[in-house]
Amino acid sequence: MISLQDFSYRYPGQQHFALQQLNLEIKAGQFCGFIGANGAGKSTLCYALSGFAPHFFRGEVRGRAWLGKKNISDLSLADLAGEVGLVFQNAFNQISGARFTVRGEIAFGLENLGLARRRIVTRVDEVLALMDLADLADRSPYELSGGQQQRVAIASILAMQPKVLVLDEPVSQLDPHGTQAVFKIIEMISQRGDTTVVLVEHKLEWLAAYADRVIVLDHGRLVMDGTARAVLASADLVKLGIGRTLYSEAADLARNKKLVSAPSHLPVTLNQAQALFQ
Amino acid sequence: MRGNLLYLDKESSLHQLHPLSKLAFTFFFLICAAALPGLDWLLAAYFFLLLPLAGWGQVTAPFLRSSWAVITPFVISLSLIQGFFTGGETVLFSLGRFAFTFEGWLAGLTVAARILVALGGALLLTLTTRPDALMQALTQRGLPNSLAYIVLSSIQIFPRFQDRAQLILQAQQARGLETGGNLVRRLKLLVPLSGPLILSSIVDVEERAMALEARGFSRPGRKTSLLVLRDSQAQRLLRFVLLLLGLGLITLRVWTLFQ
Repeated sequence: MISLQDFSYRYPGQQHFALQQLNLEIKAGQFCGFIGANGAGKSTLCYALSGFAPHFFRGEVRGRAWLGKKNISDLSLADLAGEVGLVFQNAFNQISGARFTVRGEIAFGLENLGLARRRIVTRVDEVLALMDLADLADRSPYELSGGQQQRVAIASILAMQPKVLVLDEPVSQLDPHGTQAVFKIIEMISQRGDTTVVLVEHKLEWLAAYADRVIVLDHGRLVMDGTARAVLASADLVKLGIGRTLYSEAADLARNKKLVSAPSHLPVTLNQAQALFQ
Repeated sequence: MRGNLLYLDKESSLHQLHPLSKLAFTFFFLICAAALPGLDWLLAAYFFLLLPLAGWGQVTAPFLRSSWAVITPFVISLSLIQGFFTGGETVLFSLGRFAFTFEGWLAGLTVAARILVALGGALLLTLTTRPDALMQALTQRGLPNSLAYIVLSSIQIFPRFQDRAQLILQAQQARGLETGGNLVRRLKLLVPLSGPLILSSIVDVEERAMALEARGFSRPGRKTSLLVLRDSQAQRLLRFVLLLLGLGLITLRVWTLFQ
């Protein structure tokens, strides 16, 4: 679905490349998590996959980024809208402000795509049900809580039925309750199998539980790539400034105090930790 | 659907008129305000046309409240100014050398009544028309989408700026900024308040633009819409008649001026 070949990107006016010679292939329907320290290039990668780098930020691209058989550099943002959906941190800024109700806000993207009204109605109703927003459909999106707004933002993108959904730290400004709701939805979208999900996320426990694959970026380079268990249990994550899951921390502590025998892999999910401690 | 909107969600037939029909009413009353000859005609337009229309739209109470709240200061100030400074035969009372004349007072009231009729036409539109419906009707007639977007998003985002300004004010107060005092001190306050407000808003603009792009806003080609606007032959006729009446009023006014 997505393939990067020696892909590098430099923001205008910057000396160094924010992304450096990335080689990467993400299959259709895969759920791929990205982690890395601050400034590792995670957000830039999201912008590159959704075409905002270079089409919105300008700057210089080297190498190729393919979306299916099309080169993202050759497409316009208008072409990419509806193909790749981007959701970012700040829910408030993602509400268009062009419509007065949640229903209208979700329909806004479809109106721009020029869909027939009948299809807009069906799709909006589908997404409202899917995202558990039906009760809020006639409220103003500005009168909702942060978690609800972020759900509206995801719903608005999802209604456009993108093949790839790119989420850049979608829960970083949400409370635990909102976080839980948004993660549940991402999990559900991924399990439907028709959408490729790319998620940048600091909450490692959550990636461990749901991501098919985790990729680590450091200073714009790809440094690790593998299954969630293999990557997240790695001792190198701490050196890269990313940290570990709480389960790994607990297991490490227990091992040092000789409470458990040294495991071959540190646990990264609740189930794995349970198995170890029992 | 609430917030700072004047719009009131009712099921009246006036609400269900096509936004352009209501806009035609607004323009018609604007012409009335400028072209009707005297106080009697203007008040008749207000009480026998505007008020029944507001009643039809089930918005009589807010219509009266808003129009009188705006017009009262005009009535007072215009009466005083015109009463004292426009000459006339009938002196009602005098303050020293200054005489308050009936003719001047009447002239003041007439100007206030013109404002009242124009305001009434605008209120009728805003109280019974969803802004997004109006903008949709206008974009279908060739208004650029970006312009419609600016209008609609300002309506919604402006109150959020007020919230943010309040937040910045509180943050600066927490750091020991004095917010009381005389006018000069209060003016000086604008610097530590508007700086963060403007800068943070500029940062927001980039993300907002990206969010719009992600929703295909700049996509060329025809756009569709969820909202359905119902128009009819009768309403097209109504708009045509209002246009003719408006033109007639202007002609009559110009003609009487040259007499």
